Amino acid sequence: MASRFWTQGNSDSDDDEPTDIDEPSSDTEPVDEPTNNTANRYIAGIHPDDSDDDDGQKRVVKSAKDKRFDEMASTVDQIKNAIKINDWVSLQETFDKINKQLDKVMRVIESQKIPNLYIKALVMLEDFLAQASSNKDAKKKMSPTNAKAFNSMKQKLKKNNKQYEDLIIKFRETPQSEEEKFEDDEDSDQYGSDDDEIIEPDQLKKPEPVSDSETSELGNDRPGDDDDAPWDQKLRKKDRLLEKMFMKKPSEITWDTVNNKFKEILEARGRKGTGRFEQVEQFTFLTKVAKTPAQKLQILFSVVSAQFDVNPGLSGHMPINVWKKCVQNMLVILDILVQHPNIKVDDSVELDENESKKGDDYDGPIHVWGNLVAFLEKIDAEFFKSLQCIDPHTREYVERLRDEPLFVVLAQNVQEYLESIGDFKASSKVALKRVELIYYKPHEVYEATRKLAELTVDGDNGEEVSEESKGFVDTRIIAPFVVTPELVARKPTFPENSRTLMDVLVSLIYKYGDERTKARAMLCDIYHHALLDEFAVARDLLLMSHLQENVHHMDISTQILFNRAMSQLGLCAFRVGLVSEAHGCLSELYSGGRVKELLAQGVSQNRYHEKTPEQERLERRRQMPYHMHINLELLESVHLTSAMLLEVPNMAANVHDAKRKIISKNFRRLLEVSEKQTFTGPPETVRDHVMAATRVLINGDFQKAFDIIASLEVWKFVKNRDTVLEMLKDKIKEEALRTYLFTFSSSYDSLSVDQLTNFFDLSLPRAHSIVSRMMINEELHASWDQPTGCIIFRNVELSRVQALAFQLTEKLSILAESNERASEARLGGGGLDLPPRRRDGQDYAAAAAGGGGGTSSGGRWQDLSYSQTRQGSGRAGYGGRALSFNQAGGSGGYSRGRGMGGGGYQNSSRTQGGSALRGPHGDVSTRMVSLRGVRA
Amino acid sequence: MAEYDLTPRIAPNLDRHLVFPLLEFLQERQLYNDNHILKAKIDLLNNTNMVDYAMDIHKTLYQTEDVPQDMIERRADVVARLKSLEDAAAPLVAFLQNASAVQELKADKHYNLQLLNDKYQIGPAQIEALYQYGKFQFECGNYSGAADYLYQYRALCTNSERSLSALWGKLAAEVLMQNWDIALEELNRLKEMIDSKNFSSPMNQVHSRIWLMHWSLFIFFNHDNGRTLIIDLFNQDKYLNAIQTGAPHLLRYLATAFIVNKRKRPQFKDFLKVIQQEQHSFKDPITEFLACVYVNYDFDGAQKKMRECEEVILNDPFIGKRVEESNFSTVPLRDEFIENARLFIFETYCRIHERIDMGVLAEKLNLNYEEAERWIVNLIRGSKLDAKIDSQTGTVIMEHNHPNVYEQLIEHTKALNSRTYKLVTQILEHAQAPAAH
Repeated sequence: MASRFWTQGNSDSDDDEPTDIDEPSSDTEPVDEPTNNTANRYIAGIHPDDSDDDDGQKRVVKSAKDKRFDEMASTVDQIKNAIKINDWVSLQETFDKINKQLDKVMRVIESQKIPNLYIKALVMLEDFLAQASSNKDAKKKMSPTNAKAFNSMKQKLKKNNKQYEDLIIKFRETPQSEEEKFEDDEDSDQYGSDDDEIIEPDQLKKPEPVSDSETSELGNDRPGDDDDAPWDQKLRKKDRLLEKMFMKKPSEITWDTVNNKFKEILEARGRKGTGRFEQVEQFTFLTKVAKTPAQKLQILFSVVSAQFDVNPGLSGHMPINVWKKCVQNMLVILDILVQHPNIKVDDSVELDENESKKGDDYDGPIHVWGNLVAFLEKIDAEFFKSLQCIDPHTREYVERLRDEPLFVVLAQNVQEYLESIGDFKASSKVALKRVELIYYKPHEVYEATRKLAELTVDGDNGEEVSEESKGFVDTRIIAPFVVTPELVARKPTFPENSRTLMDVLVSLIYKYGDERTKARAMLCDIYHHALLDEFAVARDLLLMSHLQENVHHMDISTQILFNRAMSQLGLCAFRVGLVSEAHGCLSELYSGGRVKELLAQGVSQNRYHEKTPEQERLERRRQMPYHMHINLELLESVHLTSAMLLEVPNMAANVHDAKRKIISKNFRRLLEVSEKQTFTGPPETVRDHVMAATRVLINGDFQKAFDIIASLEVWKFVKNRDTVLEMLKDKIKEEALRTYLFTFSSSYDSLSVDQLTNFFDLSLPRAHSIVSRMMINEELHASWDQPTGCIIFRNVELSRVQALAFQLTEKLSILAESNERASEARLGGGGLDLPPRRRDGQDYAAAAAGGGGGTSSGGRWQDLSYSQTRQGSGRAGYGGRALSFNQAGGSGGYSRGRGMGGGGYQNSSRTQGGSALRGPHGDVSTRMVSLRGVRA
Repeated sequence: MAEYDLTPRIAPNLDRHLVFPLLEFLQERQLYNDNHILKAKIDLLNNTNMVDYAMDIHKTLYQTEDVPQDMIERRADVVARLKSLEDAAAPLVAFLQNASAVQELKADKHYNLQLLNDKYQIGPAQIEALYQYGKFQFECGNYSGAADYLYQYRALCTNSERSLSALWGKLAAEVLMQNWDIALEELNRLKEMIDSKNFSSPMNQVHSRIWLMHWSLFIFFNHDNGRTLIIDLFNQDKYLNAIQTGAPHLLRYLATAFIVNKRKRPQFKDFLKVIQQEQHSFKDPITEFLACVYVNYDFDGAQKKMRECEEVILNDPFIGKRVEESNFSTVPLRDEFIENARLFIFETYCRIHERIDMGVLAEKLNLNYEEAERWIVNLIRGSKLDAKIDSQTGTVIMEHNHPNVYEQLIEHTKALNSRTYKLVTQILEHAQAPAAH
């Protein structure tokens, strides 16, 4: 190795000079660590010629070079100061300064070699940056300007450092720093960066091409060397540890030695300079030499937590192989627990440290610190995160998904264990985790998972073991003291039907779970029912649980789940042909135009609200993994199609006063936009299709409307597509007929029903039924002439004065209504014996509230943003509005005191609703209530 | 027709003893194999103390004179227990039979207890024995005795839980003795208790309500005023909720009551919505009939359903009750139902038609031409229908009178006056009240 530095030193005659001048600025001559066998190449390379003419040159050369270097050195000092006070603004300035100075220096010394001083500054900055970005709290405390500077600094440094990547690495390998503590930092961070490289394989790849291109003059073997060096060092450290361990013979290893060593390693945790991987391996080694099962357990718990530590940040995920090992460790933990039923896991009490000394033969209960559920949840979270991070279109994602059975088996075992020790509260939490893995799977996917689990888990396991043994060849010298047989199942068991599994888990949760667990399980249950086309069941569950009222108070991820369940319910309603219910479920989701955000399936851009990076990061962390997504395009087509089916006849019926009774505001807006267009091209998006269909449907051309809608690609994602399309066609026909009658009834005196059936290709009874309903509901002023089969229209044209008079009376009664309500509020309710009209008035009020503010109808859909401290004034009113909306109609609307059902969700107060006002059931459009809202 | 038989769904919500009348009815209708019913009866009796009865059934079922040993043993057992309970409750029973002693009791429970304790040495143990004795009597099939004892017990008992079960027992006894008026009183009492009591879980409350509704079927379809009362009870929000959650089959009875009862129209519309909602959980010809007439306007379907309804009614133990008149046996409810259902169809049909062919109408109403004509003439004469018959073409012509615009306007504003007046008085009263203070 030395020869390379020699050649380098020789080829660049100027090389010695910059480093030379560098020396005075450093206080002490760096002393090589004895363990460091890669010799300090700078020093080795420089000293020979340096030793004799050191003094002379220094005095003689007071050139521009010197000046530049002095400047640079002072800048470095400034950087150091800024680092000390955590001042990123000035850091940014000095960084710019040093870059400029670098140019000058380079010009002056006329060489390619970057001065060491500069590299050192870079390293220092990089380290500090890494340290700062890992320290979340400190980052939060930063002032805005500082934080801004910090972020831009991060960008700059990253870009800048890329150029000098190899030099930095070289420098890190042979730290030539003046301060001891500095070296420490560097050491720890070196490991940190190692970890990073392992976590992000692409990051590992990145440096190579760059260094290849740039290091041509430095020699081609460099890149490989760069990567190897830290590993070498690490291995050496491990060797040392092992050596230490093996100094004793296996028989000499006692509980105490293991315990001491354990504590020693434990204390090093989280400290600077502790390699995270290394710690895991140290622990793993210790498990082999643990003397008692309890001790082994204790250490295993530490292994698992150390494995969790491997990934420091919140954003990244745990390396997959570590995750797998972690799962294996958990399984071993369970093995031990099952084997020794007297060992109890507990995290509430401070434990006697000698507890684990009690051996195999000890009969009494042994307590070991640990929390299985927390570990399991963490493992699940890491699995989730990894799926969030991995690009869903790669093979890697699929591979990762295949690991799911591994987790399922773990969860299953943990649950079984917890149930066997009677901790049902915890087991319900685990059950929830399992539910959350199943609920979104349609039957086919579930089948596939089941098959996969049966096939591969064995293979996976074997692979795992072999990999592990490969990794620890040298540690496997002695057999573990405590041999643990594999007691718990390594293969998940799935019942035939996902529904049965869900039922079992969910009823367990309803019985023992806490509030949040129950709510989430209920939502998953609803989702799953909806997935299986059991609309009525899902709807009943939703209404019985009163989740709609309470979901505002829940955490965001539950709200997302709620939104997901609602959209699935909407899709389900559509599939079974309940158009208005489908629209009711989906309309609020679409009212804000933030569907992606509400479903956590991507970040929607909002023009008016710039998100802070913090918000964005939070949002990103909430995202659903790709395989759980609900097809947004399908969702949109279902929403718009059902809106079309409801709105087109509605528009036709109320041509004259367009302001009243808007069913779907969103749809109306889109229609307006599309009508404004001068030229309409062939439809491309879902929206275009529906709008095109609407245009022809308004004219009563049902066939064309259906063709346009059916030409949408997304229908292929619908289960039993043909029946759904058939249903859709039928609905379109019906609405076309209605629209036609609304629009053209005034042009007819009588109309034969045969003609209608011909027009709309409907069966006679069906047409008869539709028309009859319109007559009964007084939508159509007509009656049948039975012998001839004709509709006789009775058109009463109101004169203008008459129409106005009607409007006036309407307004008068509203006025009286509001007076009564106002006085009732003041004088206390119950005093007024109001006539039955009152109810209608309430309907009106609710409708007004729903229609009046498109914003307020968003109330049901949990607005994720208002927990995010948005400042938009419009938004602030939003939440309040939504709330008041609830009070107006909500109390009547939902308080159906139902709540039994199969093992029901019982915490809701079922006794309410006795005197509840009849809810706004006349108003189908705005709220989900109307699903069942017949009865308050 | 067994598919529409609700007995299997109703029975779990009834007391064992209350199931007997249902089984008797089924036996009479011959819907099921006789032997099956007898077996079911024995099963039913196995957990009661009516061993003699069980023996009789056993004999008819297996055509033997032998009775299994365990039945005989059981009989001895029952007799022995009866004896011991009788002894335990004897002092109290003696006291209660003494009319002059009972006079001493007052309305105050504590006073009574004190009195009994001091004067007759009757303590809580005896009172408890009375309850057990009453219960045992009930199980033996001596309903009148049971009713008496339980009534007395309720007057003395302090435990609300026990009092509730005594009430259930009393209700069952009265139902079985067919004392409908008293049973109705007990029912109302029980209902109040259920509504006011704090149940440990809402689930229990819902269950109690469901039970109560099932039991009440006996009363409502036998009591003169029952058809109105059943709507009053079942259509309450709380009870309707219970029906929807736990016992959708009860909708049949509510639907029947609605059809038979013309006065309850306002609630009827809401009820129709309930029926639509519960379509997925309960459907039978009666509810389907309503759906046909009021939701789908499918009159042919309605007419078909009407025929099915007739069958259903005849086979239902509650609504298909027979009344024997000399040699006839009629089912009064069926006739009423059919009449009303016909009216329902006709009414709706007329609302949307201007001219109807009599022949078609007759067919839709399940009548022949002559009958239909007579029926319509009667309606017109009773001024229930504003129409005329055109006998030349054989059509009925409706005379729709649409209120003219002015009338409508007046109609709209009519109420405003009184409402405003009311409002003002209300405010004035309120304003004066604080001033008076």
